[in-house]
Amino acid sequence: MSARPSLPARRFRRSAILTVLLAVPALLVSACAGSGSAASTTGGSATLKWATSYFPTHWDPVVSGSGAQFRELALVYSALTRTDSKGNAVPDLAASWKYNSTGNEITFHLRPKLTFSDGTPVNAAAVKDAIDRAKSQKNSAIFGDLTSIKSVTTSGDLDVLVHLTQTDYQIPLLFGERVLQIASPKAAASPTTLDQQPVGAGPFIVTSLTPGTKAVLKKNPNYWDAKDIHINSVALISAPDAATVVSGLQTGVYNFADITASQASAAKSAGLSVFVQPGFNANNISINVNKAPFTNPQVVDAVRYAINRQEFVDKLTFGYGQVTDQPFPSGYVAFDPQSANLYPYDPAKSKQLLAAAGYKPNQITLTLDIPSADPDAEIVQSQLAAVGITVNIKVDKNWATPFFAKDLTFSLYGTTGRDSAVQTLTAHFGPNGPLNLSTPYEPVGFEAAIAKVRQTPLGAADYASVLQAATRVGLQSTALVFTYSSPNLYAKSKSISALPANPGHIDWTGVTIG
Amino acid sequence: MVRRVFALRTGKLAVGILVFIAMLAILGPILAPHDPLGSTATTLAGPSGKHWLGTDYLGRDVFSRLLAGSRASVVGSVEVALVALVVGVIPGLLSVYLGRVFEWVSLRLADTLIALPFLVFAVAVTALLGNGITQAMFVVGVLVSPLFFRVSRAATLSVARSQYVELALISGASVGWIVRRHAWVKVLPAIAVALAQTMGVGFIIVSSLTFLGIGVQPPAPTWGGLLASDLNYLHFQPYAPVAPAVVIMATVWGCNLLADAIRDVSGENGRALVNSRKARSNRLAAQPLLVESSR
Repeated sequence: MSARPSLPARRFRRSAILTVLLAVPALLVSACAGSGSAASTTGGSATLKWATSYFPTHWDPVVSGSGAQFRELALVYSALTRTDSKGNAVPDLAASWKYNSTGNEITFHLRPKLTFSDGTPVNAAAVKDAIDRAKSQKNSAIFGDLTSIKSVTTSGDLDVLVHLTQTDYQIPLLFGERVLQIASPKAAASPTTLDQQPVGAGPFIVTSLTPGTKAVLKKNPNYWDAKDIHINSVALISAPDAATVVSGLQTGVYNFADITASQASAAKSAGLSVFVQPGFNANNISINVNKAPFTNPQVVDAVRYAINRQEFVDKLTFGYGQVTDQPFPSGYVAFDPQSANLYPYDPAKSKQLLAAAGYKPNQITLTLDIPSADPDAEIVQSQLAAVGITVNIKVDKNWATPFFAKDLTFSLYGTTGRDSAVQTLTAHFGPNGPLNLSTPYEPVGFEAAIAKVRQTPLGAADYASVLQAATRVGLQSTALVFTYSSPNLYAKSKSISALPANPGHIDWTGVTIG
Repeated sequence: MVRRVFALRTGKLAVGILVFIAMLAILGPILAPHDPLGSTATTLAGPSGKHWLGTDYLGRDVFSRLLAGSRASVVGSVEVALVALVVGVIPGLLSVYLGRVFEWVSLRLADTLIALPFLVFAVAVTALLGNGITQAMFVVGVLVSPLFFRVSRAATLSVARSQYVELALISGASVGWIVRRHAWVKVLPAIAVALAQTMGVGFIIVSSLTFLGIGVQPPAPTWGGLLASDLNYLHFQPYAPVAPAVVIMATVWGCNLLADAIRDVSGENGRALVNSRKARSNRLAAQPLLVESSR
């Protein structure tokens, strides 16, 4: 007769059985959940579950503006043009366009028989309405980009004539997804409603929208290029925190997300596909030369020489970014090689300039206003501290108001660029450019240089050199110190095919899931 | 009461932890081996002889930042407790004596403050008045004050209805004298428990707010801020959140232990508990002798 096991042994056996009883159903449940999530990404349901760190606040394209959110609004809205992998304007709602002989009028010929998702026809009147609204709506974020537009008329149902204030061959690039996403005029009659119930003629239709949190969309069967859209539905989700995105991708909660550079290696380790979408990102230090101590050009130069751009790249981009001292990364058509490295990192020279300007070490104290805690600001602070400038960082949730009102002295900004290089340059260096903190200051000769670019057709042989000359003039500005280009970094499930390498855009044409 | 708290093992442990944390708050920035704001090229390095807890995403010494960050947390939690004490205790005592109108108004006010979510309110106030730990903690202190109001009011009520207080009133004693002489003594132990508990809550609130980036301007180090920044680099340093989490937990645990110890030793029950523990320890100490003597 075997001896009865001791009490601890019986307890151990009991707890082991209990553990197994609990673990088996748990494993079954997780296996089912796993297979479910795999089915949603690989089983052909063709649902895109996109976690975004910049969920649109506004869905009215006129109010949303040209920032990074345009990529999400492009799910719903189409524009007259779009850009291809080389950044050239190609047809979208407009099948073609033609300038007059003097370049101060352009006619867009629309595709026939298109409708918005509410059934309203996409015609010349709708396009005119969209342009007029962008110019006149009180809370328009893009009216400043439309200074070349004098008026819009229609000819028949499908021809839109845009009359310009000057010769400007940039219009096809300007009227792309960044600036002129076109909403249904019927829906836009109430901009407030449109802002939360978007209606466009893009590849998808919004079926439900929880402001700031989630949007659910389905494929638009009436989209002009619907045959090339292979995604049936989209769940656009506001990513709760950058640190949780990779876990969400791993578990199938999302299958596509923008990620920070610090998460890239975690995403790769998790077996996700990590890729950099080409773009025009550039970060800068914005200086107000109308306010002391930057009224002294030697102080501005001291800041320029104090900045070690490579430190930003090394510490913040994990090898994915690149240094730049221009409002776009090197390699872009507008990047001026002659202006590269105009102000190399030289802290000794920076100190000399401060001394020459009459400032003793640590005599200058600046407040660096930023919208949220940002390692960029901490690097700027430490680099300027090294040359004897004290920087106090101030996180201000209402930062946008004083920044765009040009009330700040010292701040940071990062742009995702524009399809039209002229738009990028005027935004930064123009007298009323939204990113020029020193309004109405502009570098000498900038207006003339920009006018020359506008007058140069995009396909002209000398276009690149004329554009780079304008960049060169713009970089004489003392109001901006460019630091580095951050990457457009994305992680996706391997079940999603590669996206078109369309610079600065997220284009779902031809993309398959499963 | 202090001697009785020290008579308990948990009391000694709690005081030990809190004295250690207080010393960190006072001496931490001086003891830090490196400049807590000084960045280096060595980012996200693991623990080493030079950097005991490694370096963060900008190459700063994590141990030095942990030491330097203790002050903001301690000062913030002390502020919460003191504001709650001042705002809650005095009206709590007076609500018993200053008539029905004052009683009704103060009770409704306390009910209202309890209903407000203090973390959300603190965020709103910093958005309104500027990002600072002082204003955030002041608001939290006011919102936590109903705890002190209720504790002090309950204790005062029990004293006010006792026969010796009635006798004092009949003898012509003033309300102020009664509060000072009789009510305050009875209220004090309960307040001490609430104070220790509130300091623990204060640590959690300070850590939560600084985790969210509220209350301090970067790059000032805080325990909550260290935790928040570590989360973005878990793939490189999965152990990084352990150190700030441990100091936060230990501090809150110390406060709660102290609150428990004060509760255990205060009042008649507390005395009885301490005496019974003493008696039991005496018995245990005496047992071997009894065994020896029985042989």
